[in-house]
Amino acid sequence: MRTILTLVRKDFANFRRNKAAFVLTFVVPIALIYIFGQVFGLNRKDTGPSGITLAVVNASDNPAAQKLVDALTAEPAFRVVTKKVNADKSERPLTETDVRAMIHNREFRFAVVIPADVIPDAGLGLHLKILSDPRNEIETQTVNGLLQKTIFSNVPELLGQSLQARAKKYIGADNLDRFNGALATAVSGAFGGDVNKIKERFARGDLIVKPDDPALAKPADPALHKLDSTTSAGSAQPTAPAAPAASPARKNAAADFFSQIVKIENEQVVGKDVKSPEATRVIGGQAMMFLLFALSNGAAAFFDEKNTGIFQRLLSAPVSRAQLLWSRFIWGVLLGLVQLTTLFIAGHFLFGVDVFHHIVGLVVMCTAAAATCTAFGMFIAAFSPNAQAASGLATFLVLTMSATGGAWFPISLMPAFMQTIGKFTLVYWSMEGFAQVLWAGDSLLEILPTVALLLAIAGGVMAISIWRLNRRNIFG
Amino acid sequence: MLQLRSVTKRYGSLVALDGVSLDIARGEFFGLLGPNGAGKSTLMSLVAGLRAPDAGTLTLDGAPLTARDSSARISLGLVPQSIALYEDLSAEQNLKIFGELYGLRGADLRARIDEALEAVKLADRRRDQVKTFSGGMQRRLNLVAALLHRPKLLLCDEPTVGVDPQSRNAIFDFLEARARAGLTVIYSTHYMEEATRLCTRIGIIDHGKILALGALDELLTRLPFEEEITFANTPATAAFTAQLGALGDAAGVNGTQRFRPRAGFKLSEFYALAERHGVPPRAFTQSRPTLEAVFLHLTGRNLRDA
Repeated sequence: MRTILTLVRKDFANFRRNKAAFVLTFVVPIALIYIFGQVFGLNRKDTGPSGITLAVVNASDNPAAQKLVDALTAEPAFRVVTKKVNADKSERPLTETDVRAMIHNREFRFAVVIPADVIPDAGLGLHLKILSDPRNEIETQTVNGLLQKTIFSNVPELLGQSLQARAKKYIGADNLDRFNGALATAVSGAFGGDVNKIKERFARGDLIVKPDDPALAKPADPALHKLDSTTSAGSAQPTAPAAPAASPARKNAAADFFSQIVKIENEQVVGKDVKSPEATRVIGGQAMMFLLFALSNGAAAFFDEKNTGIFQRLLSAPVSRAQLLWSRFIWGVLLGLVQLTTLFIAGHFLFGVDVFHHIVGLVVMCTAAAATCTAFGMFIAAFSPNAQAASGLATFLVLTMSATGGAWFPISLMPAFMQTIGKFTLVYWSMEGFAQVLWAGDSLLEILPTVALLLAIAGGVMAISIWRLNRRNIFG
Repeated sequence: MLQLRSVTKRYGSLVALDGVSLDIARGEFFGLLGPNGAGKSTLMSLVAGLRAPDAGTLTLDGAPLTARDSSARISLGLVPQSIALYEDLSAEQNLKIFGELYGLRGADLRARIDEALEAVKLADRRRDQVKTFSGGMQRRLNLVAALLHRPKLLLCDEPTVGVDPQSRNAIFDFLEARARAGLTVIYSTHYMEEATRLCTRIGIIDHGKILALGALDELLTRLPFEEEITFANTPATAAFTAQLGALGDAAGVNGTQRFRPRAGFKLSEFYALAERHGVPPRAFTQSRPTLEAVFLHLTGRNLRDA
């Protein structure tokens, strides 16, 4: 037993000395658990997505349309944009043409267009348009769900107006006025309240009377509430706590009903022609993660060359430190380029990702991403005391950057501060670049800013790494 | 050929080299003898341009040796203390890489690789991965990798650490042959036997300072004795031993009596005294003092214990 205890003590002593093992055992899992927790809303007050930019074009002068805009603005998941800032800093309301261009320019991915004829003269119902760049499937589904919820919550009033307009057309204004008056009288007779006020509400399309409606003199019949909760299908806002819930069958029926009369036209603005959208969406993030792992191994190899004295031999030859470091950088970029290209080509043959139509842009993006990742590997080598520490630090950074940078799930599902952190990762910008090439089909000129940004990151990180490596005794 | 003038190198508060001045002549086999941490590897790394001195200058054939300017290093070859080879590559691939770094190409490079592999008896293993080699074979390859470009000055930083005696002798033979052909060698070691066998001139270094410099015989003259006589300490020799203190330095170590006669003392008088005490001449072992004794004399410590 004493022998076993001695051996266990030996393992403990070794573990305590091994910082890499410590990081991999405790820090990495805690960091990832925290990130996953934030994504799934554990211990968060602001659960759910946040900060998703949503452009809203309101071409209608209908007050109910403005109420829909207000409802979208109140939705915490969205950061609603309704105005375009001109070159002279003046502002004007967004138009559909504006938002199409802005979605193409990646200023946002989702827009709701409320057309001038949101309540068409011909036919019953109303129509809205959702424009999107569904580059991230999870995010797109989330946004669609939230939009439907918000829109359907505000449908009844718009629908009431539509009914009123149609009725006016078919039976005439006088007959409609009489009809509204009769209906208001009936409601007032059953529930109390001022006939004229109720009639005015009906006239402007507000047909929903809730049990606690102040227009009524006494509480509404529960049956009326049932009707109300049914017509609010899709709404997350319960109408009254005491009211019995509508059955699923009735809810489905209501949803079907609304889907018949509320025409939401979904239009994919970007990525329409992508052949294998599911694979195209994820391949960039996955490729980046594996590239980072591969190049992080390069950081450990750096120490192998130091420890075996190969650096001594190389530097005693007519080889400068700068040549040595830049040769490693070039090798890393080449390796990364080949690895990324191979992964994308594999994606083409395995999942049908359209690689060859974008091959030039893809190679340029792969080169920029590989350069940034290589610089990252050099950075780890420069700031790690040994190979083990480099390996531990690399694992920690690769996993956290992949998680916060959006390689695993959309960053809009994270809290705002983590979204900000995510945008400082090379994973985020590399994924942006790959999506531009493969998803949006951007030209070389269009991807240039992203490429330039990645190369600037690579240059900056390399400069810091070289400065650090030259100060350290890593070559001795 | 190589000149060091007041070279100082510090690592934080540790002074690794303290104002070292040294001249190495062309064709010289210079030994740098000192214990671990004496400053040998630091001196080697400064000459090889791996580090820059904090003070002082280094020149090779009049041209300054600096860490920044790599052009002068074409004349140097470094055999690092560790096996500085790519172990997943073959012997031939390793030599090709290191040869190309010195500007060798094509047929010339191939011829030199053939010659080098023949010289260290690795020609039949040229395509094998280095990791499959024995320690001695790796050491030999490590050595010739530094000679492929035919440097004027070879820096050997303890190149036989962990090598079996047979391989060590092969390395010595190889180096001696090269030295005879005119190669200048600086050889750092903490094995006095290696310095004694190989070096035409030896610098004894400790705590970053060159304590003594010269050929083996010159260093030995620094000792206050020329011979060392040892014999077993027995009751029969006790009376004889008691009288030795007046004639030189006598000390008993582990049952063995060591006597170092003072300068000018005639050995015939020692043997006459022994005869008078009935101690036969065959009881004595007479030897020349070693570098170990020089080091002990200079530092007060044994080389191996330092």
